Amino acid sequence: MNQPATIKKSKTASYYAWVGVFFLCLAGLIGALYYSTIKIDYVWRWYRIPQYFIFKEKIDIKSQVVGRISEISYHNGKALIIVKTDGEDKTYAVPEGDIKVSKGEYVNHGYVLAFYEKWKPGILLQGLWLTIKVSAIATLLGILIGLIGGLARLSSNPAFKWASIIYIEIIRGSPLLVQIFIWYFVLGTLINTILGKYGINPIPPLWYGVAALACFTGAYVAEIVRAGIQSIHRGQVEASRSLGMTYAQSMRYVVLPQALRRILPPLAGQFISLIKDSSLLGIIAIRELSKATREVVTTSLQPFELWFVCALLYLVLTFTLSMFVQYLERRTAV
Amino acid sequence: MIEVQNIYKTFLIPHRVEALVNVSCKIEAGEVVVVIGPSGSGKSTLLRCLNHLEAADSGKIIIEGIDILDPKTNINKLRAEVGMVFQSFSLFPHKSVLENITLAQKVVRKRTKNESLDKAFFLLNKVGIKDKANVYPDQLSGGQQQRVAIARALAMDPKIMLFDEPTSALDPEMIGEVLDVMKNLAREGMTMVVVTHEMGFAKEVADRVIFMDMGAIVEEGTPEHFFTNPENERTKLFLSQIL
Repeated sequence: MNQPATIKKSKTASYYAWVGVFFLCLAGLIGALYYSTIKIDYVWRWYRIPQYFIFKEKIDIKSQVVGRISEISYHNGKALIIVKTDGEDKTYAVPEGDIKVSKGEYVNHGYVLAFYEKWKPGILLQGLWLTIKVSAIATLLGILIGLIGGLARLSSNPAFKWASIIYIEIIRGSPLLVQIFIWYFVLGTLINTILGKYGINPIPPLWYGVAALACFTGAYVAEIVRAGIQSIHRGQVEASRSLGMTYAQSMRYVVLPQALRRILPPLAGQFISLIKDSSLLGIIAIRELSKATREVVTTSLQPFELWFVCALLYLVLTFTLSMFVQYLERRTAV
Repeated sequence: MIEVQNIYKTFLIPHRVEALVNVSCKIEAGEVVVVIGPSGSGKSTLLRCLNHLEAADSGKIIIEGIDILDPKTNINKLRAEVGMVFQSFSLFPHKSVLENITLAQKVVRKRTKNESLDKAFFLLNKVGIKDKANVYPDQLSGGQQQRVAIARALAMDPKIMLFDEPTSALDPEMIGEVLDVMKNLAREGMTMVVVTHEMGFAKEVADRVIFMDMGAIVEEGTPEHFFTNPENERTKLFLSQIL
């Protein structure tokens, strides 16, 4: 691939002066923000944030029987505590070192025998994971819907063509928020009620959220796919058809590989939008990153730090995606 | 053998053009027919109708005994028997020269990888660019691209080859190399229909010349007759303009 030619200019003093102005403005903005938070007596507590990502949970091992500790034996870093009761003896395997009882001690129901600590993901990490999961599934479904929608849009069959046009126009013409409500409160109620009548468990809100995002993205992807296919010269289809390929073969081997290369940048933009739009799913009780942040804000009362962290996490996701697409573009370039 | 009987073709988009008006002709196996005429005379449309890239509105086209306008005809099967070479080459830019030639062999003819590679190398040798097997089309000159396009069409073992102004998009110094490949093909007995402005080629290679104007065949005959002793006024006018 040819690199665009850049003319190297020698940097003048005024260039560096303006670089200085830029950083001064940036520092000024951050300073002003910080100063105003001090003015309203906001206390920054960044050290409280990591616990919402990962924390150590203390788990107690409690006796479920009444009796006396008859034996504590150790092997392979584990301890076996045997509780002698009136009936059958009960044995507990616990991690060595954190034992709270000794031999001969009398234990009752709920008496703590030992405890151990375990790392657990915090609510923000769980929310981040859910955002990634929802976005990834909706992206894959969106590509599938968009590909079918785009091909149907170009079809000469009126049933396919009109269905595709109506789908694209409805989805693009209404707000995503409303579509999420329709998916959850209208379609969700209908489907779950009908499923309930046949004794089938209801589908959790997560999947209605995924469906809403996938259908929304699919409409935009369909238009991108259509434009991509139409941008491939007619001669390519004619050449492949003249060799005896069917329409499907010509699409698969000749047109789509070329179109895909051209539509990668707009597709990436669409999927970056999708990641950001997934923040709307909080309204139907899906605890993705934004909803998780809102919940933490109400319990921790540290909104400033948390919302900045939330924005930063979205930025990390979208930036990673755009880097990945750039890598793909370079790899597929001839 | 190709038999064209009374075909009509009218384009409505972007505006109404009667591209073919009651065209009939017959091309025997092994015959080389050159179609000439002013631009817009319908010669390319006639060629494109022969492998159904354009569907004629009415009339009959029978190729190797198959009625190609019959909706029951498997048009893909027919197209594999009729090779076509385009003015703008239309090579697949995302595939190497070798892949360009092997793709349809594998997909349409269901040949194995080795069979199709053998065929591809044989044909690249024949068109004289064996050393360019692994490059991409945009690294080739126009003449080389067109020779690859010919090899790509020949790889299907067609019974008939259609050439739609194969040298019109080429720089003058490259026309010769493409015409040489076509002359060799003609010598081997391939049935060829060539739309071209290369009168030298027509004189040297053609068994028959068809002159078209305004969607109709005005005059046809052997090159000797056609170039030395044309009967129709319009043929005379056209020849006086180009020769």
